[in-house]
Amino acid sequence: MELLKKYGFFLLAGGVAFVALLFFTLNIPNNREANFIERGALMVFAPVMKPVARTSGFFEDVWDGYISLVNVRQENVKLRDEIKSLNARVVTGNEFQQANQRLTRLLDMKNAIEPPTLAASVVGEDVTSWFRTMIIDRGSASGIREGMAVVAADGVVGQIVKVAPSTARVLLLTDHASGIAATIERSRARGVVKGKDAGLCSMEFTTREEDVKVGDMLVTSGIGGVFIKGLPIGEVTMVKRGEYGIFQTITIRPSVNLDHLEEVLVVLRGGYE
Amino acid sequence: MNKRAALLLAGAVVLSVVLQAAVLPVFFTPPFKPDLLLIIMVYLALHGSVENGAPLAWLLGLLKDVFSGLYLGLNSFTFLIIFIVIKGIANRVYAESSFLFVFTVAVATAAAITCNLLLLLMFTQTPGIIYSITSGFIPHLLTNAFAASLVALLPGFSRAQEVA
Repeated sequence: MELLKKYGFFLLAGGVAFVALLFFTLNIPNNREANFIERGALMVFAPVMKPVARTSGFFEDVWDGYISLVNVRQENVKLRDEIKSLNARVVTGNEFQQANQRLTRLLDMKNAIEPPTLAASVVGEDVTSWFRTMIIDRGSASGIREGMAVVAADGVVGQIVKVAPSTARVLLLTDHASGIAATIERSRARGVVKGKDAGLCSMEFTTREEDVKVGDMLVTSGIGGVFIKGLPIGEVTMVKRGEYGIFQTITIRPSVNLDHLEEVLVVLRGGYE
Repeated sequence: MNKRAALLLAGAVVLSVVLQAAVLPVFFTPPFKPDLLLIIMVYLALHGSVENGAPLAWLLGLLKDVFSGLYLGLNSFTFLIIFIVIKGIANRVYAESSFLFVFTVAVATAAAITCNLLLLLMFTQTPGIIYSITSGFIPHLLTNAFAASLVALLPGFSRAQEVA
C-alpha cells in the first residue's frame, strides 16, 4: 500500500498513456473511417458550427473590409486623379482630332486657292445682336488689309472690314451690309448675295426669267475682284416669284456654319490701299 | 470719381467687352446676349456726375462700336443721348433703388434699339436690318433687364454706389 501510494501517480499516468497508445494503435487500421467518437462529436457540433462559421465569416469580411478601407480613401483619390488625367487626355485627343480634321479641310481649301492665303483663328464675335462681324487674330502686321476676302473650308465667310496691327474684323456674308457677287452653279444665273436675318442670306437682283431652283449651289462669280471665282457661298433654300416685279426672291443658307467657326483663311489679294 | 472707382470702372469695362465679344457668344444666341456696356452706362447715368459720366458714356458707346458692326459713332451717339436723358431725371427719383436700375436698363435698351434703328435707316443702306433688330427686341430687352438684376444683386453694388 505504501508502494502504491508512493508510485501511484506514475502507475496511473503510465496506464493512461498506455490506454491512449492502445487507442491510437487500434484506430490506425481504420484511420479513414469515423468511429463512434468522431461521429458523435461531429453530430453534436454540426448545428453550432454552421451559424458560428457564418458569423465568423461575416466578421472576417468586416475586418478585412475595414483593413482594406484604411487605404481606400488614398487609393480613391489617386484613382480619381488618374481618371481626371485620362479624361483630360481623351478630351485633348478629341480636340486635336477635330482640329486636325478642320485644318486638313482648310488646307485643302488653301491648296485650291491660287493667291497666297493666311490662316487665322476667330477670337471674338460682334457684341451686338444684329450686326454680324467677327474678330480674327491676324492684322495689318501679317499683311491683312481692308477689303480682303475671308474663306473657310466650306466656302465664303466674308470680307475684312477693319484692321488693327494684330487683329482684324470680318464682315460676315450674313450681315445686312454685306454684298457678294454670286452665280448659280447650275444655270449660271447671277445676282448679289446679301445678308438676311436668322443667319441666312438672300440673292438679289436675279431677274424672274433666270433659272433658279431649291437646292442649287451658289458660288462666287468673281465680279468685283474681291472673291476669286467659284468659291462656294451656299445653297438655295427658297425661291419665290411674285406676280409682279422684276426680280425673284431667293433665300440662301450659307455653306459655312458661321456660328461654330474657329479657323479661317484670309486671301492676301486685293484689298483697299 | 476717385482712383478706386476709376479702377473698378475700367475693370468692369474690360471684363464686359471680353465677356460680350469672346465668351457670351459661345453660350448664347444673338438676341440673348446682354449688353453689359449699356448696363454700365445706365449705372453711370444714375450714380455718376455729368462731367465724368457724359464723356464716359460716349466712350463706352465708342468702345461698343469698335467691336460691333461697321458704323463707328452709332452707339456712342445713342449712349450719350440716353445718358443725358437719364441724367435729366435721375435727380428727381430715388436712384439708389435696385428696381429702378433694372427698369432704367430695360427702358434704355428699348431707347438704344430705337435710336440705332432710326440712325441706321436714315444714314445707311441696310433696310433689311429692321427685321433683325425688331425680331430681337423683346428677348434683348428682357436679357438686359435680367443681367441688370444680377448686377444689382452683386455684393458690392450698394458699396460701389457710394464709391461712385
